[in-house]
Amino acid sequence: MDDFYEVKVRKVEQLTADIKRYTFISERTELPSFGAGSHITLHLPMGNRQYSLINNPLDMENEYVIAVKKIGQQEGGSSYLHEKINEGDVVKVSPPHNYFPLRLEAKHHVFFAAGIGITPFLSMMAYLKSLGESFELHYAPSSEDDCPFYNEMNEMYPNQIIYYFMARDSKKKKLKETLKNLKVGAHIYTCGPQSFMDFIVDYCRELGYPKKYIHEERFKPAKVIENPQPFEVTIENKKKKVLVQEDQSLLDALHKAEIPLAFACRRGICGTCEVKVCNGEVLHNDAFLTDDEKRDKMLACVSRGIDHISIAVD
Amino acid sequence: MSVKVEQFPFPFTEDRYAYSNNSSLLKPARSITITDHYLKEIQLKRELLQANHKRCFRSLPISLESQWEAMRRIFAELAQSESEHFSLEKRGNEYRFQNHLLGEEERFTYRDSSSIELQPLDIAGRHVQEDLIIMGDRHDGLFLEAGQLCFPSNWSLTFVLGMEFKSIHTPVPGIDQNDFISKVERFISRIRLNEAWERKNWSMTISNMLDTPLETYANWGKLRLKVTDKNVGEMVHLRVEVQRLLRLPMTNDILFSIHTYLLSLNDLIQNDLWLKRLYTTIQFLSDDIAEYKGIALYKNELIQFLEKTLNEKGLSL
Ligand code: HEM
Ligand code: FES
Repeated sequence: MDDFYEVKVRKVEQLTADIKRYTFISERTELPSFGAGSHITLHLPMGNRQYSLINNPLDMENEYVIAVKKIGQQEGGSSYLHEKINEGDVVKVSPPHNYFPLRLEAKHHVFFAAGIGITPFLSMMAYLKSLGESFELHYAPSSEDDCPFYNEMNEMYPNQIIYYFMARDSKKKKLKETLKNLKVGAHIYTCGPQSFMDFIVDYCRELGYPKKYIHEERFKPAKVIENPQPFEVTIENKKKKVLVQEDQSLLDALHKAEIPLAFACRRGICGTCEVKVCNGEVLHNDAFLTDDEKRDKMLACVSRGIDHISIAVD
Repeated sequence: MSVKVEQFPFPFTEDRYAYSNNSSLLKPARSITITDHYLKEIQLKRELLQANHKRCFRSLPISLESQWEAMRRIFAELAQSESEHFSLEKRGNEYRFQNHLLGEEERFTYRDSSSIELQPLDIAGRHVQEDLIIMGDRHDGLFLEAGQLCFPSNWSLTFVLGMEFKSIHTPVPGIDQNDFISKVERFISRIRLNEAWERKNWSMTISNMLDTPLETYANWGKLRLKVTDKNVGEMVHLRVEVQRLLRLPMTNDILFSIHTYLLSLNDLIQNDLWLKRLYTTIQFLSDDIAEYKGIALYKNELIQFLEKTLNEKGLSL
């Protein structure tokens, strides 16, 4: 399980009609530092929610800053923050992770943001500016009235931002023009609604832009199997059967049955405890196997079978 | 320099040895350990750096940000975990690190190269017993981008500078069986910000020499031919590297630290369990790994010595 920190809301600022900026501080502990593109996870009554950090990692003095747009239903995380969280309140956060790091080997960084997808680029631009690296931002806000950070950004990066305040078709046409003119060695980053990111990524593919130079922010919901259920496992090559209890991992159950299986991390990131799946349905809960590998493999420390599965171990 | 028995990180948890990902999460996250040999080893390090700077320190320009981050991190860690010996003060971007064991201090302005005379990793490494390596996490793999390496076990920093993780490991026999080293690389890419993982690697060194780089192989390699049944216990040392992988949060690169420990067999065999484990490990060691670690040349003398000692102690396996 992740550690978490209790942070205090020092400041809440209304940026646009439905976007607010929150500054969290800790009076008790030193908050871990982070890199541009990182996010924190807020523990809210309706579940965990991830938000990109927007402060410059180099200037961070024990504070985390996020911007949240109020979207969707009343019960959502963003509504809760907007309506219930005020200055002085205490919130639980997990330490920062980074699924969207800058690639500092890039010759040039090109950002494509839509709507509230601007947030990770705020820390990235601030950081790159401190480093003196070159970048540009292509920003399609929801509307002219809903363009957070407009003044701040124009002041800090006067020549590096192109806004796309226009109808959808002309927006797409202009984005395509931009993508066509990218220079070799530039890394591309995109964040925003799925359809926007798909548009950017698909068009880059069409142009034959190298895949490893294209980066998308995909918030993966933190993986937890709610309510783990017991399941039965046949180990085909050992002619044995074990039952995995609800509070037990497959790895533990195998060890208890004296079937040796090597392991290291016990949290689904090293791949050591891999077993072959011969039959049955599996709930994968790791951050290691590729989709292809998941077809006939599972990691015994974190993933579980449904009802009955059969496996083979080395 | 061999270490006291109590501080020796004995590496074998089982009786057989095969390459595996034997990493475990380290909480709290640490890169550095200070042992009783601190002063002697720091002195040796400084002499080596003085005499052979290019052999012991190399960097690519892209590593500079990570070097700053690593230096600040290491000094902060020392000040926190060994507060009686080290302190770090910060005023804005101005830092002052004090090393009370050496009676030295380092002052610098963070990320201002004009405020320091050596590169940051080269400064940090002079205050710790560990060798320090920066692995840049790039879009096409993990690359060795900087290192201060005084105590390598038969490898060369000059040779591996700029190399990718998998290429660095090609000399190791069987390392890509079942995709092993690619999986290790994938594991490293999953290490989260501020997290540290620790693993142990082992080999054997003839004499208690910490500095056994590839460049001076001609001087120390031939000692392997001098092992006899009379001098095994004294000459042969188990060499253990405690390696730590830490994800630097700001640059997203990996700081890889290596703390090398040596223990003579005469000291090792005082511990019955260690004796038994070492014996079975050597006995079942595959020929290619024995060859790679340089043990093949004196494996017979070694086995005989361990068997004789087991017998004298009346130990059975
Ligand atoms: C990321 C930092 C790492 C660096 C810079 C590094 C570098 C090296 C080097 C230079 C060698 C010697 C190669 C030669 O003989 O020329 C080596 C050996 C080896 N490495 Fe790594 N390594 C790293 C991490 C790891 C990790 C995480 C593992 C496994 C989980 C690993 C497993 C091994 C093994 C099994 C050997 C053979 C050692 C022996 O048998 O003595 N390495 N490594
Ligand atoms: S032990 Fe690491 S993935 Fe299971």
